[in-house]
This record gives sequence, C-alpha cells and structure tokens, in this order.
Amino acid sequence: MATRSKLSGTAALEDIEGVGPQAFLASIVECSDDAIYGKTLDGAILSWNRGAERIYGYSAAEMVGRPVSVLVPPNKPDEVPAILERVKRGERVSHFETTRVRKDGEVIDLSLNVSPIRDASGQIIGASTTARDITEQKKMREALAERAKEILDVSTPVLQVWEGVVVAPFIGTLDTQRAQQFMERLLDKIVQTNSAVALLDVTGVPAIDTRTAQHLIETITSVRLLGAQAILTGVRPAIAQTLAHLGINLADVATRSSLAAGLRVALDILNLKISTQEDQAKGAHSL
Amino acid sequence: MSDLARGNIPIKSENDIVAARRVVRDLATQLCFGVTDVTRVITAASELARNVFLYVGAGVMWWSILDQSGEVGLELTFEDHGAGIPDVEQAMTPGYSTSRGPGLGLPGVKRLMDEMEIHTEVGKGTTVMVRKWLRE
Amino acid sequence: MTNQNISLVKVRNTLLVTMPADPDDVTVTTLQEEVLGAMEKYRPKGLVLDISSVETLDSFFARTITETSRMVTMMGGQTVIAGMRPSVAISATQLGLTMVGTFTALTVDRALDLLAHPHPRRRIR
Repeated sequence: MATRSKLSGTAALEDIEGVGPQAFLASIVECSDDAIYGKTLDGAILSWNRGAERIYGYSAAEMVGRPVSVLVPPNKPDEVPAILERVKRGERVSHFETTRVRKDGEVIDLSLNVSPIRDASGQIIGASTTARDITEQKKMREALAERAKEILDVSTPVLQVWEGVVVAPFIGTLDTQRAQQFMERLLDKIVQTNSAVALLDVTGVPAIDTRTAQHLIETITSVRLLGAQAILTGVRPAIAQTLAHLGINLADVATRSSLAAGLRVALDILNLKISTQEDQAKGAHSL
Repeated sequence: MSDLARGNIPIKSENDIVAARRVVRDLATQLCFGVTDVTRVITAASELARNVFLYVGAGVMWWSILDQSGEVGLELTFEDHGAGIPDVEQAMTPGYSTSRGPGLGLPGVKRLMDEMEIHTEVGKGTTVMVRKWLRE
Repeated sequence: MTNQNISLVKVRNTLLVTMPADPDDVTVTTLQEEVLGAMEKYRPKGLVLDISSVETLDSFFARTITETSRMVTMMGGQTVIAGMRPSVAISATQLGLTMVGTFTALTVDRALDLLAHPHPRRRIR
C-alpha cells in the first residue's frame, strides 16, 4: 500500500505490494504506443517494446542484437552515429524528426527522443530511444500549409482604396490557374466597384520571366478592354529593364515607382485633387 | 482516356459557325466549366469553325466529352479536306498573322485552350484538335 | 431563335448601339451598315457600342468593330466600346484581340460622359 500520495523515484514503487519497480516500469514501456528501444553505444538493439514491433514491423526476437542501422534509410548513413556521439557526451536528443524504414519497406516519419542510459555508477552504457510515428501528423501539417498558401494566394485582396480606384498586388510567381483566377477577380472587382483605375502593384514581384510578363501584359490589356485604366506601381529600375529586354512596350501604361505616386495619378485621372493645407487656406481666401 | 459522349456538326455555311458556338456553349456549360472557360472554349470554336468555312468552304466539327482518370475534358476537332496549311510553324508564330492580315489565329486559339494538335497535309486537308480540361 | 436585333438610338448627339448576346455574321455586318447610315444622317459626335449582353467576341466581330470605329473617326466622330464582360475581356486578350484605336468604358453612362468631356489622359492607344 503506497503511503505517499506522489510516487517519486523507484524507492516509492517498492511500497506497492506485489509490484517490483522493474516490473512496473517494464509494463509502462510495454504498453506504450510509442516505440521504445534500448541500444548499446555501438547501436546494437538491447530491448524492443510492443510499440516498436507495431511501428517498425519487426518482432523483438528479430531485432534484439541487430544494429539499429537496419531501420535507417540508405540516404542517411551518418544519422545514427551522430546521435550516438551526442548521447556518449551525455546529451539528450529531443523531438528529432526523421524517417525510418519499416520491415515491409514503407518509409515512415518519426519524432525521436534519445537519452543516455547510465549504470549505477553514472557511466553511460547505452541509449534509450522513444520514437513516435508522426506520418499522419506530417501529412496533415503539409496539407494545412498547402491550403494556407492557397488561401493566401487566392484571397490576395483586390482592395478598393478610393471611389473608383482599386489596388491589386501583382504576384508574379502564380501558376497558370491562379494567374487566371487573379485576372478574373480583378476584373470582377472593377465592375463591381465601378472603378475607372486599377493600380497593379508589382513591388512583390521578385523577378519577371517570360511567363510573368505575359500574365502582366494580359492583365493590363484586359483591364483596358473592360473600360478601366491600369497603372503599374512599385516598378523598380531592374523590373523596367527586364521588361524592356523582353521587348515589352509599356508606352501606353503609366508606371510609378511607388504606390502613393500611382494613387496620385489615379486621382488625377478621376479629376480629384489631394488638397494640401495650403490649397485649402488659399481657397478660403479666394472666397 | 475514354470518351463519354461524342457528336458532330457539319460546317458549310456562316450559320454553322453560330451553331458550333451554341453546341460548344451547351456542352461547356453542362460540364460545369466556369464562365471564363466557357467563353474561352466558345471563342476558340468560333475561330476554328470560321477558318474551315472561310478557307475551305466545308468541313466538320467533332466534339467529345473525355474522362481521364476522373478528370473531365471537352475535345473539339475541326476537320476539312482543303488545301492544307503549307507552313504550320509559321502559322503558329505569334505576331505572324497580325503583320499579314487576319491569318488563322492559331497562336491565340492555343493560348485559350489546354491542348492543341494540328495535322495537315498540303492538297489533302487539315485537322485541328483542341482540348480543355475542367479545373477545380 | 435568339434575338438578333441591333438596337440603335440617338442619345445626346451620340449614337447608342446595343448588340445582342450572340450575333451571327450577318448581324455583325449589319452593325457596320446601320452605323454608317446613322452617321450620315445624324452626324453625331460619337458612337457608343454597348456590348454588355455579348457573350463571345471572336476575331470577325472584333475586326468589324475596329473597322467601324475607323470609319466613324473618318467621319469626325469617336467610338467607345462599353460594358465588355470580364470573361469576354480575358478571352479577347488571350486570343490576341487588342482593339487598338478604340476607347473603352465600363458602362454606357461612362461612355456617354467620356464623349461629352474627352479627357486627354484617358485616350487609349
């Protein structure tokens, strides 16, 4: 009967009637869903729990005595030696994500925690590994990242910044499908807001290749056909140079190096003025 | 790749160009193509049907609905037994037609569609096949 | 049988022509004839071509529009194409129809405003 409410260390376990400390710990290890296995400092398997049998597909009988490198995919020959080196120095390896090969050849994603096993004198005599199967988790994480990227790309906002002016950040690296969706969204927004001007901001375009240039030209042309005017903003000298090299003539498209400057052109087109304090004061006087 | 349905309409008058547009519009709309893709396909069909009528006078438009591992597509083939296209490469060069007049508009049609194949033989005839796949 | 009728009215010294959804070749050619006839008769300052119902713009239609526009210019007027649908604008662009030499406007309203007060900066080359 345990007299202490909290079990701490193996000394307390001796109080539990009929259960030796080793057996208690052994049953925890055995029942774990994670793979838990011990190995020598040379990498030879000493113990292999049921979780390991399930995750790796090898039985304990098959694994004990064999080198752990059996599980390592051929493209990672230095991984186990590196881990063991750190363990020999007394370090723990935590949440190390890597891949291993099951008995049936399937490659799985795992998160490893490796810690040193010490003898009674404190000497490091081996390593204990806990491996968690994160294949499903990894798939979900990648799917989420992909979706997040899609959401970011597709919902890149076309904003109405003034009555009659919309701004759209032009992203050059979109694939064909998303490039088409971008054009459709931009044109629909122009119609919806009855805008006369669309500012295409190319600040975020890393490089202009032929495909990006084609997409840009098509966007500008279709905005024009619709009945609005396109202004390119954020045009840096490097971009202008590349466009010129590609033989693209932007003579009939206003370009500005900053969004603010582009907005001024837009407002001018709409016959609006951003009046300064001075102008307003003058106006008051002239009345 | 299999086809789920197919049909054809003859092209031998100006009215047939309109008929081709209507058939293609119905097919593309029924296949749930988005409005812009429907417009693209109709425009491509109009151009190719017009080529047949204008340059040869008679031909046929074949259409079929394709299924490739779950992906649905619309295939149109314009066939004629006319003089053929002497230099396909030249006809496919963008900008060529604008300098020489209307031309065949083939580079533009290619841009509108996902796939295009041209088979032509001088003195025998021409077949232009275009495909558009339904995207998510 | 879809409506192939072109509607042509004179509004504010401007010709307003409305095209049907899918005009056949004969209708497109009629457009040119009717416009020239009306230009002769009324000598308006411009032509507004309302294509907001048009679903497809192919090269024949586009060529006829640009030819008509050129003729209107020669007779002292300006042409504005109004109401092109986004799907049509994209398809026309990708087919390579740029309609150089024509003005464009989002709506008939805007087109009429444009002809009434031509803004030098809005000229589309």
